[in-house]
Amino acid sequence: MVNPALALAVFGVLVILTTLLLWPRWGLLPRLLRAARLDERIRLEDALKHVYTCERRRQPCSLESMAGRLGVSTSDAATLLARLSSLGLVRTTSRGTVLTEAGTESAVRIVRTHRMWERYLADRTGVPPGEWHDHAERMEHALSPDEVDALEKRLGHPRWDPHGDPIPTSSGEVPPARGISLVSAEVGRTVEIVHLEDEPQDIYDALLGEGMAPGVRLDVLEVDGPAVRVRAGGREWSLDPVSAQNVTVRHLPPGERARGLEDTLADTRPRETVEVVGISPACQGIQRRRLLDLGVVPGTRVTAELTSAAGDPVAYDIRGALIALRREQAAWIYVRPAPQSDRAVV
Amino acid sequence: MSAPASAPRPGCSEHRRQSLVRLGLSPDRWDVLVALAGNPNVGKSTVFNALTGLRQHTGNWPGKTVVRAEGAFAHAGRRMKVVDLPGTYSLQAGSEDEEVARDFILFGRPDVTVVVVDATRLERNLNLVLQILEITDRVVVYLNLVDEARRHGIAIDAGKLEAELGVPVIPGVAREGAGIDDLLAVVTRIAEGEHRTSPYRVERHAPEVEDAIGALAPLVDEVFSSVPNSRWVSLRLLNADEAVVEAVRSGELGHLDGDGSTAMADAAPEDQRERVLARAQELRWELPVDFHDSIVERTYAAAEEVASRVQMRGLKKAGFDLDRKLDRLLTSRWLGFPLMLAILAAVFWITIEGANVPSGMLATLLIDTVHPWLADLGGGLGMPWWLTGFLFDGVYLATAWVVSVMLPPMAIFFPLFTLLEDFGYLPRVAFNLDSLFRRAGAHGKQALTMCMGFGCNAAGVVSTRVIDSPRERLIAIITNNFSLCNGRWPTQILIAAIFVGALAPAHLAGLVSSAAVVGIALLGIAFMFLASWGLSHTVLRGEATSFSLELPPYRPPRILQTLYTSVIDRTLIVLWRAVVFAVPAGAVIWLVSNIQIGDLSLAEHAVGWLDPLGILIGLNGVILLAYVVAIPANEIVIPTVLMLTVLTTGMAGGAGTGVMFELESVTATGDILRAGGWTLLTAVCLMLFSLLHNPCSTTIYTIYKETGSAKWTTVATMLPLAMGFVVCFLVTQVWRLMA
Repeated sequence: MVNPALALAVFGVLVILTTLLLWPRWGLLPRLLRAARLDERIRLEDALKHVYTCERRRQPCSLESMAGRLGVSTSDAATLLARLSSLGLVRTTSRGTVLTEAGTESAVRIVRTHRMWERYLADRTGVPPGEWHDHAERMEHALSPDEVDALEKRLGHPRWDPHGDPIPTSSGEVPPARGISLVSAEVGRTVEIVHLEDEPQDIYDALLGEGMAPGVRLDVLEVDGPAVRVRAGGREWSLDPVSAQNVTVRHLPPGERARGLEDTLADTRPRETVEVVGISPACQGIQRRRLLDLGVVPGTRVTAELTSAAGDPVAYDIRGALIALRREQAAWIYVRPAPQSDRAVV
Repeated sequence: MSAPASAPRPGCSEHRRQSLVRLGLSPDRWDVLVALAGNPNVGKSTVFNALTGLRQHTGNWPGKTVVRAEGAFAHAGRRMKVVDLPGTYSLQAGSEDEEVARDFILFGRPDVTVVVVDATRLERNLNLVLQILEITDRVVVYLNLVDEARRHGIAIDAGKLEAELGVPVIPGVAREGAGIDDLLAVVTRIAEGEHRTSPYRVERHAPEVEDAIGALAPLVDEVFSSVPNSRWVSLRLLNADEAVVEAVRSGELGHLDGDGSTAMADAAPEDQRERVLARAQELRWELPVDFHDSIVERTYAAAEEVASRVQMRGLKKAGFDLDRKLDRLLTSRWLGFPLMLAILAAVFWITIEGANVPSGMLATLLIDTVHPWLADLGGGLGMPWWLTGFLFDGVYLATAWVVSVMLPPMAIFFPLFTLLEDFGYLPRVAFNLDSLFRRAGAHGKQALTMCMGFGCNAAGVVSTRVIDSPRERLIAIITNNFSLCNGRWPTQILIAAIFVGALAPAHLAGLVSSAAVVGIALLGIAFMFLASWGLSHTVLRGEATSFSLELPPYRPPRILQTLYTSVIDRTLIVLWRAVVFAVPAGAVIWLVSNIQIGDLSLAEHAVGWLDPLGILIGLNGVILLAYVVAIPANEIVIPTVLMLTVLTTGMAGGAGTGVMFELESVTATGDILRAGGWTLLTAVCLMLFSLLHNPCSTTIYTIYKETGSAKWTTVATMLPLAMGFVVCFLVTQVWRLMA
């Protein structure tokens, strides 16, 4: 019989080795796979996408910006640009590097794939928002145009990615960029977020954590000071100018105000009846559709009927049906006290 | 999944021709194709059964029918085919169910779509009706559950609703068959084209949407002058509706106005058609981001308006108040859990107590009486020994074992469970337990699929259909095997009685061994939570999730029908699958013990090879071999172990080479096992391994059928097996280290 101490020791070593090998992100295997992916074609496509992004934003495209974006040295960036140029995808003008027609076409195709995949992740999967971009960065090099078209059909021809960026059509159409940066918004106006830049990741994560998402409406209080201050409902945010730069907004017509974000269905007391104001823009994809389909639309009266024996979930009377929602879901639904008129007696 | 969407769609006449061709050849020919749509849990399946005379199980649950059910019957000399679509709240194709339902209504071209509507939740049901009316005008609304609505103080004026919707509305109570004849008559009239409808269509949209429609509709009118509803076509184009876009592109737009005529007198030139599409695309960019939300809002506003005109509320609400009172009791902070435990304990107690006697009788009949009789018969007919052995000792005995162990508890457990389900109590259990499951990343309804797993894992896996969120459903399927099923209880009880009970003084032995078995079952629940947590945080992290749990109104259970459907639907189907798998298992067991290579049988060779691995994890080669050949059914593990032990140790006893047996006396069984080298450690490891190993082949097959994925089936098979090896290994080595 095997010595038990020896057997346990061998087992322990095996567990440690497997962990080192397979652990997500830091494991040896994920690292090797990631390194293998960084072949030349992918780097060229990333470089091309960078030039495209600069053009869309009307920013100069420098070697430094490209090196920073791709995480390579400036000399590598120069090699990549030279290679793109020899392929006839970019050319150098007095204004810096610009895309040729063929270059634009390729770049738009990559961007289309990237954004379509992000839309897919948001609509059909449970991948958390912070990971959409990374997944899409990989898939944009892997999917064929036909696969993207099929995906588009399945998703019902979406127009925007979950960050608010337009998804180019299969014929390469992209509408002109909309909106302005939050730092150039007018003080005293109400704005609606149309786009959140998903790079760099940590700023994006921080913005998400603050509850920012396309569709959120904010009153602009201050933009020139050391921080950009905005308000929605009773809550106020101070964003540092760098983060605020990554938030694109549009001015709403005067008269439309920011929605109160503080009152949600999760705060409703038992037996209390409230009226739905809207669903948080942070709730996307099938979760949002499910709530809408159940009849959670502005104006719907909802009563907290039953609390589960464990306190969560709570069952709400929504249009005559008893629907249990978890606290985190109820927190997506903005409500206000129901007006006194009693619709129940008709 | 969306094959119909991508496949070239035959035109209406084309479709007819194909079905006509099939009429002469195929048994599933039909004259009238009827689609059955509706929200989840509105009694769609009951209507389906009432129409077709089939007995599909219908539970008081949202979402019983996940796959399409089809049935056929004759009415007034016509063959009618009914397709029961999955219950959905809408047709936005946001989930697999919605995609199936929408594609069928849009591309399957049913002659009539019957929308089953729950009279107690009119507004929400109208939301779906209005969406269906956007696609097709050959619609009949069956207003189900009018009795329940009356009980809840809601009366609906069906005539007024018919006038509002512009399609026939038939009120009825499907489970009593009320209104079904009227429904059939109207369906026939619509199919024959005798009844023309003028469906309600949502006209007023949000200002931005109206602007876009206003900009596009004149162009549609200009290019397709014969289209009757250019506003609708425009809205579909702005929605990028695949069918309408294709119809415009191909110039077949006349097709979709509902009259079925394919003749397009004025096929517009191609560049004009492309101009319409290009303009629509341009306008799409100008629509607000929450364009889709605003469409749902408008549809609901319309549904609310229609409902308010036809529905009289505020009547006496006796039934409703009773429902709420019962709800408050069953979900109360102090009584909720004790009541739940008491009810579930009663169900298990009745099952275990009640199954003992019939199980014993079946075993006496099938194994002790019929088996020797068959063996004699074979001998009398002059059959060679290997044939009688193969057929009667192998195939027959394995089947008999599975039937006698499996049938009685299932025939008691499933009807009891189904009664609770039909009454509406089970959704309340899910509601109470949800917060526990939420922490493990699972769905509250998994509590019920888990309970079902205690009866039979295959049935438990099927029951996960009630979980409509993809990620949570996969978790429930993969972890169902951690519920100690019927086939494994006897093993646990026997081994605990022999080895664990023996540790305690005689008067406490029964108690101690029962506690050990219950402990194993609880350990299974703990592993279920652990595995659910692990899965939802690793491999299933990216699967889509959409929690919602509807608490249906209480309904008085129909006892006779429940008995019938649960025996047919759950018990017999599962039993049939088990028998199908037990037959080859019996054959293999007999063959491996009787085919000789050199001096030893195949079984003895295999035991020899498996011994080192078995001993490493506290078991032995016999047990491992028994688990390999008993993949089809856990019931035959102990008989196989006994037979193999006798075979490999060469001791006296047993019923013959390759003949599985069990002994009346627990002590005698213990003696054989001890002679086979078993210790307390072997017993503990066997109990653990019986809990943690791969699901039986019936369950594996069911998992594959339910998930349609080889990947998830592999995970569900290998995960518990790997856990079993690791747990048994660790227990064994630590045990030996301590000893």
